[in-house]
This record gives sequence, structure tokens and C-alpha cells, in this order.
Amino acid sequence: MTKKWTRYRKRTFYAFIGPWAIGFVLLTAAPMVYGFLVSLTNFDGSSSRWKWVGFSNYAELFGDGEAWTALLRTLGLTALLVPLSVAGSLGLAVIINRRLRAVGLWRTVFFLPSVVPVVAMAIMWKLVFNKDAGIVNAILGVASIKPIAWLVDPTAFYALVVLMLWGVGGGMVIMLAALQGVPIELEEAAVVDGANKWTVFRNVTLPMISPVVFFAVITGVIGVLQVFIQPLLLTNAAGTAGIGQVPTSNRLYMVQVYQEFFLNNRFGYGSAMLWVFFVIILGLTIVLLRSSRSWVYYEVDTEAEGAAQ
Amino acid sequence: MTTITREPLTETVRPERPSAPRRRKRPRVGTYVLILALTVFFIGPFLWLLLAALKTPQEWSSLPISILPKVPQWDNFVHAVSDMNFVGYAGNSLFLATMYSILITFSSAAVGFGFARLRAPGKGALFLILLSTMMIPQILTLLPTYVLFSQLGLVNTYWPWVFWGLASSPYMVFLFRQFFSSIPRELEDAAIIDGAGWGRIFFRIFLPLSRPVLITAFILSFTFSWGDYIAPSLFLDLDHTTLSVAITVWYQDPHNNVIPTVQAAAAVLYVIPVLLIFLFAQRYFVRSSVGSGIKG
Repeated sequence: MTKKWTRYRKRTFYAFIGPWAIGFVLLTAAPMVYGFLVSLTNFDGSSSRWKWVGFSNYAELFGDGEAWTALLRTLGLTALLVPLSVAGSLGLAVIINRRLRAVGLWRTVFFLPSVVPVVAMAIMWKLVFNKDAGIVNAILGVASIKPIAWLVDPTAFYALVVLMLWGVGGGMVIMLAALQGVPIELEEAAVVDGANKWTVFRNVTLPMISPVVFFAVITGVIGVLQVFIQPLLLTNAAGTAGIGQVPTSNRLYMVQVYQEFFLNNRFGYGSAMLWVFFVIILGLTIVLLRSSRSWVYYEVDTEAEGAAQ
Repeated sequence: MTTITREPLTETVRPERPSAPRRRKRPRVGTYVLILALTVFFIGPFLWLLLAALKTPQEWSSLPISILPKVPQWDNFVHAVSDMNFVGYAGNSLFLATMYSILITFSSAAVGFGFARLRAPGKGALFLILLSTMMIPQILTLLPTYVLFSQLGLVNTYWPWVFWGLASSPYMVFLFRQFFSSIPRELEDAAIIDGAGWGRIFFRIFLPLSRPVLITAFILSFTFSWGDYIAPSLFLDLDHTTLSVAITVWYQDPHNNVIPTVQAAAAVLYVIPVLLIFLFAQRYFVRSSVGSGIKG
């Protein structure tokens, strides 16, 4: 490949990526800087009589027990939901990867819920978990178990977990592609060497697909940390008016932020909460990326990157 | 190693498909029992929603719980459409989703082309920034954007969706970039020798070739926008908002309680377009999920 000769002028590149670059500056960077500035004020969202308060919002947040509890709850949900959904999507993929009859139908069935809009999802699960008329209590009633009010404390948390796991089929598709990318020769060689099914899966298949598992963990963590609309929509209130009615067991960090913004009109304090959360998420991501070196196996194909230049 | 060599191993590339039909035993009955249980879990809520949409409010709330409605109440669907301006809200949803998807598909294609085929100083660093923005949780920028836009008077307009569309999506840029990178250079060189500029090359060669990615990006952004709740609930009031917000707010009885049966009917009407798109275009959804995972 000739190096010096170029096909296009440099400014053509900048013109093509311009929409993204401008968008990044105006719609990502600027709001974040603006949010930081707001976090240094006592702005209430509308009145013009706000003033700079320095870092006092951050100082207050540091001593805000409710915010810390909500943060711990969010981390707990993440620690529960991410392993469950990664294992769940991998499990579904393993099932679909077998020589089933009507495999296309089952794949569709498992995959379908993941594309259902969150509003419809919440309405469905509210009906399923309804205390008096829900199917869950109807089934439990057959075993003469008294109706359970699922959507209030303390069980609301589990209803949320079930709702979130319902969309696990989206991850299944990624895992399935990864499983089908594992060269069958490797697995066969292990079988010839006398390994049983589980050993093959644990020591051959899993390491081969570990980059995809890692990707699922990272996106899963970032996804679960920002959950807040599901707890909101699972309340009985109409629309975002439910913010004050979210049961304690579902008061996640972002629910708390949303409440500071739109119930308490504390835009400054809410913005400070957002920035602290951003730093926490960034830290978690870095820790995960570092940890990946010890358990993610990458095949040597870095030259593919160079060829794409 | 005991590999069965199909062809001389001249390429380092792995075979794209799993090598021929996999030699595995057919699963036993236990697997099908498990699949049946999973099907109940995944399909059950849809059925319960549909059944609720066909009951009278009394039937819905009376004990003991009846599974099937005595007489299917198709009237609930009539109420769902007439108790609020359903058609108007659906129109808002459709308009926003279509406009947003067209914009974001083409802007992402252009940016993806830039990163795949063009060169300039700073490209590496810019691409790194693009990749890391994928890691920023959307909600963190959305709330400050709301505050900023409300100061600029952009709330209750559809301008935010125009801006988001024009700004492209890092994830879709990545999809396009992967695709464009795989197109042979000879094609481009031939066009340059024929005197074509970048405009012709992009619009006449690369865009038509990327049809599957264009469709993927469009379908993905369309279903995202149709299903999005957070942005319309933040940026739009009840007169301008979309179906996703409207069905959570309307359908109340005189005591301000939501009527579950009518809301269920509305939810059925609201998800049908998404389900249809999904059933007819499932492979594009698969492509979009898979494209994100494999090469990082």
C-alpha cells in the first residue's frame, strides 16, 4: 500500500465526522459542563434568583443518608441483576444452540420481550403482579396462599428484578453468535481427550467467548446503574407523578436524583448527585476494564485493526 | 491437535459459520419441559395483558380471579382510541420516530464512512472519544440537557429530536464503520480514477452497498424512539407528547384511578407496531445486537 498518496483531502474527513463532533460538544460535553455549573448553585429550575453556593451541594450529599442508601441499593441491584442476566442469557443461548425442533420459534419467543417498550412492559407486569387480579396471586391462590401485594414494600424489589430479567433474550442473541463462533474442532478435541460436557463448556467454550461475556457485564453494569423509569412506572400513579410513590425498596439512586429535580425542585443538588454518580460509574468501569485482563481471553487478531485504517 | 482440515490453511480467518451441521445429540424431553416453562414466562405477560384488555373492569377486579373474560370486551379498544386523542399521540410518536430515525441513520452513516475510509490528524484520538462516549450513561447527559434546553426555550418543541438525530449515535457510527471498513479499496480506487469525488463515492457507492446496515440502523432507532419514555416525558407537555407517555397518564376514572382494562387495550395497540416490526425484521435486530458484541 502506498503511504504518501492520499485519496481525499484532510478537511473531507472533518466534514464527514463533523455531525458527530459538533453533536458531542453541544449535546454531551456542554450539558455535562453546564450540569457541573448548576451543581455549584441553588438553582430551582425556574426562578432567576439563584446564587453560587460553591461545593456545599457536594458537602450536603456527602452527609445525605438517603442518597447513600439509594446508592447501596442500586449497587445491590446491579450485583444481583448483572450476574443473573449474563448467566440467563448464556443459558438461553446454550439451549437454543442445541439441535431443537422449531428452534426459530423458540429463539423468537425468548428474544421478543427484549424489544417491548418499557411503558408496555411496566403495564403488563403491573397486571401480572396485581394484588387482587394478577395471575401470580391467582396461581398462588390455587395452592391456597393468601394474595401478596407484590408492588409495595418489601416485595416490589423482586417484581423489579423479574421485570428486568424478562428482557434477557436481547443478550441471548449476542451469546448465541459467540457460541457459534467457537470452532467446533476445539470442543471435539477436548471430547476426544476424555472431557465431559461440563468440562468442555467450562474450559473450552467459556474462555473462547469470554470477550463477549465481558462486554455483556460492562453494558449490563452501566445499564442497571441508571435504572429508574421502571420503578417509577410500576407505581400506581399516572406517569412521572409516581416519583414520590416509589416504594422504599425500589428507591434507586436515579429515582432519588429524579425526585430532587422534579419533586423538590433542587436542580443544583440533583446536578451534584449526577456528577458524583458519573464519577462512581467511571470508577467502576475502570475497575472492570482492569479486571478483564485476568479473565478475558483475546485471540490474537489485532492486525485486523491495522488493516482497517 | 486433531483438526479435520477442510482446505489448505492459507487463511488465518476463522470460518464464518459453525462448521456444517453440528454433530450433537438431539436434546431429551427435559430440555423441552424447560423450554415450555421459559415460554410461559416470556409469553405469559403478553397473554395476561391481552386478557385484561378484553375484560370488563368489574370482571378484572372481582374475586376469585377469572382467567378468561365471559364476553370479550372489544369495547375497551374503542375507549382506548376515543377516551384520549390516541390518533394524535400516535401521530406524534410516528412523526418523531420517523424524523429522528432518518436523520440519525444518515448522519451515522456519514460519520462511520469518515472513520472507516478517510484520514486526518487526530482521527485515532477522536475515535477513542467516540468509543468512550458509548460508556456514558445517557441519563447523565439527558437531565442537564433538559435544564439547558428549558433555558433556551427548546422544551415543548421537537427540535431536541432534530439535534439528537443530526448528532449521530456512537453505537451506529461503530456499526457503519465496521461495515465500510470491509469494502475493498479497489472499488474506491476505480471510482477515483473515473474522476469521482468523495460525494459521489459516498452517495453512489458506499451508501447503496450499506443497505442492510441502513435498514438495521433505521429499525433500531425507530423502535427506540417509539418506545422511549424518558425524553418525551421530560421535554414535551401533554399536548405535544408521544403515545408512550400518553397511555400512562390518560384513561382515568372520575376518582383519578387508572382504568386497567382500557389502559391494557391501549398498551396492546401501542406494542403491536413494535411486535410487527420485530417479527418481520428479526434478523436486523439480531444483526444490531451481535454487531455490538463481537468486535470491540
